[in-house]
Amino acid sequence: MKRVIAVLLVGVLGFFIYSNLYSTGNGNLFPKFGEAKLSERVSNKFIKKSVNGNESEVIYNQTKDAESGSANMVTSIVVNYRSFDTLGEVTVLFVSALGVGLLLSGKSRMKFKTPPNFILRSAVRVIAGIILITGVYIFIHGHLTPGGGFPGGSMIASAVLLFYISDDEFKTKVKAFKFLEGTAGSLYLIFGLLGLSLGGYFLYNFLPTGVVGNLFSAGIVPIIYIFVGLKVGSELSNLISDFLSEEGK
Amino acid sequence: MIQYLFIGLILIGIYGLLTQKNLIKLVVALNVLEVGVNLFIVSTGYVKDGIAPILFKGATSTNNNFVDPLPQALVLTAIVIGVGVTALSLTVVRKIYEKHGTLEMDEIGSESDD
Amino acid sequence: MINPVLLIAIPLLFAFLSVMFKKADKGFLILGILFNLISAFFLKETEVIIGGWKPPFGINLVADQYSIFGLIILNIVFAFSVVSSLPSVKKYSTLLLVSLASLNGMLLTGDLFNLFVFLEIASISAYIMSTMTKKYKGTFNYIILGALGSNLYLLGIIFLYSTVGTLNMSDMASKLHLVNNNVLLLSITFIFAGFAVEAKLIPFNGWVKGVYGNANDLNGGIFASAYATAAIMVFGRLFTNVFTLDGTLKTILLAVTVSTFIFGEIAAFSQKNIRSTLAFSSVGQAGLIATLFLTGITGGAMMQVANNAFAKLVMFTIAGAMYVYTGTDNVEKLQGLFKKHKLIGFGFSIAALSLVGLPIFYGFYVKIFALTNLFKINSYWLPAFILFSSLIEGIYYIRMLVKLWNPGEEGKESKDEYTTKLSLENTFAYAVLAVIIGLFIIYISVNPEFITQGISNYLSNIPGGM
Repeated sequence: MKRVIAVLLVGVLGFFIYSNLYSTGNGNLFPKFGEAKLSERVSNKFIKKSVNGNESEVIYNQTKDAESGSANMVTSIVVNYRSFDTLGEVTVLFVSALGVGLLLSGKSRMKFKTPPNFILRSAVRVIAGIILITGVYIFIHGHLTPGGGFPGGSMIASAVLLFYISDDEFKTKVKAFKFLEGTAGSLYLIFGLLGLSLGGYFLYNFLPTGVVGNLFSAGIVPIIYIFVGLKVGSELSNLISDFLSEEGK
Repeated sequence: MIQYLFIGLILIGIYGLLTQKNLIKLVVALNVLEVGVNLFIVSTGYVKDGIAPILFKGATSTNNNFVDPLPQALVLTAIVIGVGVTALSLTVVRKIYEKHGTLEMDEIGSESDD
Repeated sequence: MINPVLLIAIPLLFAFLSVMFKKADKGFLILGILFNLISAFFLKETEVIIGGWKPPFGINLVADQYSIFGLIILNIVFAFSVVSSLPSVKKYSTLLLVSLASLNGMLLTGDLFNLFVFLEIASISAYIMSTMTKKYKGTFNYIILGALGSNLYLLGIIFLYSTVGTLNMSDMASKLHLVNNNVLLLSITFIFAGFAVEAKLIPFNGWVKGVYGNANDLNGGIFASAYATAAIMVFGRLFTNVFTLDGTLKTILLAVTVSTFIFGEIAAFSQKNIRSTLAFSSVGQAGLIATLFLTGITGGAMMQVANNAFAKLVMFTIAGAMYVYTGTDNVEKLQGLFKKHKLIGFGFSIAALSLVGLPIFYGFYVKIFALTNLFKINSYWLPAFILFSSLIEGIYYIRMLVKLWNPGEEGKESKDEYTTKLSLENTFAYAVLAVIIGLFIIYISVNPEFITQGISNYLSNIPGGM
């Protein structure tokens, strides 16, 4: 009975969404898939890097001092135009890692039922280092290539997870990670406050943005992404170690 | 139309939330809903024959058909928030299991003190 | 002149620092709260942009009279509830700082997506805070409903973004007339449903009893006063400034809010425990305030926000303290408690009577104001509902107060077992809180202009405000 009502409810909801979203009539309609008109959206100016009025074309490896000089436009939105959201996002992860730590504050490590075998152990020794370095590479190049602080940080955490799986005795130093997390978070905010005192705006990009496409470009964007990467990496590692902990015996 | 699929995922998630009694299944349903929402958001930024919004050699900010980068940035935020909520809800599920020894909503019973 | 962004950045910075310096975390907490409390009073009307990108492209923070009013109340009640319940803070100081920052952010932000981010931070901190009393089932329900609500809200703003291409609130408000009616209907329904979870409206308030009804002295005060204030003020901003409603949709949403307050008061009437009574009373108040916002009586709604925040702060803190120190909050078992602890009883009673809206108290003034304005816009059934629910509210609060003051007949078995557990040194902080807020409520009952001044300044600037 309950299922029938649920099916009916979901059906009504689906019909409600469908009939209103793809309706025809006066006014601006919801654009059909593939027909998004960028010229009517705020993101048009993000792509052209012309929020502050400079309409000239941005050319890879040539344009100097473009606003938010990051070649990856998603990064320029995430860490520059809408950096305040990212600060909030980092805080979300911070607070949920904190909550998991508060709830599962076991001292000793959970043991697996089957001990890790030889293949796993030796494979992890080889690939963990590669994963770590790739993670760092990804968040340092976040303003040039796809990726950035969040994927890079999760890669670092996945290396930590591999260590946990491959070694029954392995346990991270939670305190060190907490310290790293706190430092990275505070530095993010201190950079924001520096922008407030130097440029008059919180999270203002106060460094020169350089030539689009160079490693040393985009001002504070790569610096912030390094903080984000370190913070996400340490927070997710803390999550893993909290989930694999149990009350001491 | 691929967007129907994403709305379908959202509806499946809501159906799961309405009918399931198992705590883990509820978390899974929530995740299905979240994935549906995220895919839908990305799909609203797609432009026909568009390319990834990254400048590269030979591409300038005006001569290319870039897809909308803003929904992608929003989804990045939404994904991270989803991870946080999922981690927390799984933790609470584990605490419920430690306390009541069951994962079924009906078997937990009332929690009030008197 | 204080930059409003500091109200968010400083508590957040202290939160990150308090993780590094574990031993000083309480110090950081007090510092952060004090900073916010003082800066909220020095805020001037202003609008700041983040990162130097002008709206609608960047994110802006709007500190107008409306948000300043909310911020002052929010920071006062937050500070009071933390300071009066310091022993319950334990390991939660970092969390409290984060939630303070996010609540301030919710009230200040001028961007719809940024609001979603702050809403999520605030609700995740609320999930964690609600585990303080180890009632995990209530927390789990809260997480599921909260996550569902925020996803619906996100979907709603994405529909609007892809139609008109903006996320900024004022820009959205100016472009809303361009949107096709059906798309607008869908988006507003989803945004309303998303906010209904945090604002405790029907049918998304299933979590309230499990969370509010199991609160202790710290999180009860914070949820029922600080969170309720922030959520309902943001609701008011969205549905009076950004999305203006009319026609059938307005009638439907009004039906939702009206049924919320009637349901809340009736459910509260049938509860035996103090905290669950207060929980459903909060639901009722949220419904009442939301109704006032939707009908356009912004002034009355804001005055009721203040009334509800201060009253619920005292009542929830004391009810939580009763539970923490005596192990129960059943009205029958605690009979005659206030006879032993008169100061607490004084604050609690004043708060309850003001919330009910008894003559000579501040709440009476608010209700008269709201009712006369409702009559002005030729609405007669809404005042009838409000009066009916006020009657129910009055009955159960006065019944509760009578039981708590009156120890019962002579010769019956003594209830000392519970009342003596609440010793004098335990209750000192709560007594101070009760007296201060009680006197404050008496003060504003005599001088209602003290609160309404700021509101009338704000309302004179918007068209059609009352």
